[in-house]
Amino acid sequence: MLKVEGITKRYGEIVAVDNLSFTVAKGEIFGLLGENGAGKTTTFRIIMGLLEPDSGKVTLDGKKIDYDLSSKIGFVTEERSLLTKLTVLEQIEFYATLKGMNKKDIQEKLDYWLKYFEIPEYKNRKIKELSKGNQQKIQFISAIIHEPKLLILDEPFTGLDPINVKLIKDAIYSLKEKGCSIIFSSHQMEYIEDFCEKLILLVKGKAILNGSLQEIKESYAKKTILIKGKNIDIAALKKVKGVINVEKIRDELKVSIATKDVASQVFNIVKDADITKYDVIDASLNEIFIAKVGEVHE
Amino acid sequence: MNKKFWYLTKLSFNKKVKSKWFIITNIILLVAIVILFNISAIIEFFGGDFDAKTNIIVVDNANAYEIFASNLTNFADNEDYSISKSNEDIETLKNNLASAELLIVLNSSPTEYLTSELISLDKVDNLTYQIILQALNSTKSTIGMIASDIDPEVLANISASITVERTIINDSATTDENMDMIMSSVFPTLILPFFMLIIFLVQMVGGEVCEEKTTRSMEIIISNVSPKVHLLSKVLASNIFVILQSILLILYCVIAYVVSIALGGASLSSTFDFASIFSVFGQMGNTIFLVIPVTIILIILSFLSYAIVAGILASMTVNIEDFNQLQTPIMLLSIAGYYLAVMAAMFDGSIFIRIISYIPFLSVFISPTLFVLGQITIFDMLLSVLILILFIFILLKFGLKVYKSGILNYFSDKVWSRLFKAFRTKN
Repeated sequence: MLKVEGITKRYGEIVAVDNLSFTVAKGEIFGLLGENGAGKTTTFRIIMGLLEPDSGKVTLDGKKIDYDLSSKIGFVTEERSLLTKLTVLEQIEFYATLKGMNKKDIQEKLDYWLKYFEIPEYKNRKIKELSKGNQQKIQFISAIIHEPKLLILDEPFTGLDPINVKLIKDAIYSLKEKGCSIIFSSHQMEYIEDFCEKLILLVKGKAILNGSLQEIKESYAKKTILIKGKNIDIAALKKVKGVINVEKIRDELKVSIATKDVASQVFNIVKDADITKYDVIDASLNEIFIAKVGEVHE
Repeated sequence: MNKKFWYLTKLSFNKKVKSKWFIITNIILLVAIVILFNISAIIEFFGGDFDAKTNIIVVDNANAYEIFASNLTNFADNEDYSISKSNEDIETLKNNLASAELLIVLNSSPTEYLTSELISLDKVDNLTYQIILQALNSTKSTIGMIASDIDPEVLANISASITVERTIINDSATTDENMDMIMSSVFPTLILPFFMLIIFLVQMVGGEVCEEKTTRSMEIIISNVSPKVHLLSKVLASNIFVILQSILLILYCVIAYVVSIALGGASLSSTFDFASIFSVFGQMGNTIFLVIPVTIILIILSFLSYAIVAGILASMTVNIEDFNQLQTPIMLLSIAGYYLAVMAAMFDGSIFIRIISYIPFLSVFISPTLFVLGQITIFDMLLSVLILILFIFILLKFGLKVYKSGILNYFSDKVWSRLFKAFRTKN
């Protein structure tokens, strides 16, 4: 289990990470969200042992992360961290040897993963000759080939088509099943909603949301009602106290409301119209993200 | 951790040795050295003669041929000139004159005793002209003295070379006048490969660190090994590489020497004055057994310090242009060291050059040079080694801090500003 306890990191006057705490259990996928410059990279670097926090500590299975323990961690960086002049085999051998694997195991595992990603013919090709998507697959293989206890994924789906996204997703789920703790970061909120049971939202180094995805969504007061039907009095809807916005998207009305209670008042207005759909849904993570980050900046 | 250090070192070394550029460069070097050692044989092969003697034909209208020939032999190397007397008329000789021939006409003069005419197909090189002039002046003096009816015994004494008894008070001086010639002609050639290896070393270490940083693979590497292990593995691999390259250069010289022997052997001496170099080493006596190891230690330590500085500077860069900017001072330092070494004889024991010989980066060029010139002692060389060891220690102590901070720094502020910030950073 990864335990991050009250870590703070300053660069001069700038506080990059401010008293951040969270835990990632075995076999759990944890989302780390934040706008650019929110402190995600610094947090990853502290977890990887690349930076010492000014205060607080990070432990993996109760032990401080050092160069022996870092071989149990896999890291997919946001920007591709591959030496493009090397061949796929040389690159994987390089990183996997640093993780403590022997040559025979590396060969076997690499063959398995190349076959899994349907690119066995690229084993002896130079990285620079591969497409962006295939480079991303190699980067992913380099991070998981040693079967890490902790996997950090920073934008792992960059440059991938839906088929390859699915292949990587399945591989991540398989690692989760084996008990790997996973930290996932992406600006594409649908991936976070898809993957993460728990998440943290960082703004200016501080956690402004922390908890399970379900709790966060439920606790966020604003909801959306999707209504499909004919003869709906839109003007009347707009007059209801607590209705923030009404917009028509194709043949549906999207009504944004301030709290869940407003939904019953809206229903009273539309119940006599010829409606075929009335759905009260939680705000999307994307909406929560924009609203929360916006609040802090205001 | 040791295992990872040796793995990184091996990987970095193999990357250099197995590159096609290493193989191509070494083929070019081997060919160039063999050509240099056998240049006269090659010129001969294409119809020229690098060792051809200059043939001096004398038309003697002053009955002075014997004196002139004797004087010329005294002033010039017999291997470079041949002299003969001709009775043919001047016009015929002029018409048949070859490019390696000179026609000298000696005429008697009632007032000047001797006048002469020098006829050549092309311009005469300065050295040959000076030798002929000296021989002619001496011949004129001898004729003048004979005309003045000076006693032959007195004349012989006047003409004889002066006896000079030499005493050198400073017994550490290991030089003679040959040294200036060696320093100005052979020495730059000998230290040039070393200078080039330093440039090679700086670019290798810097380029590799810069590449790992710009591709962001540094984050993965540094999460598995400490920055100290990473830097030292690069430094060690590069140093082993340049030492291997030095050994290969020596091997190429041996091959070139063997080839030159196979081709007749004479061509080698015209390219390098080995006899003079060996005579200098001979003068050093037993000191040579101390000087050579100290020089080798100085070279290895200097390679290390250049490589460490290159690595530290490269850690501050975010692209190769930045690195080129940062490596300029190191390049200038090594160029300064090279030229100071070449011109060391001109400083003739000045305090300035002596102090410079202790300064790291420069000491490797200047210290051995000054020792060969007899301007410093072996203790000065040992002092340079000690200063260099101390410098490397300080470099590692403070430089590793900069390296650790620099390799993960991608800020786009000015590169020198990043360097100074890194000095102040705690972590």
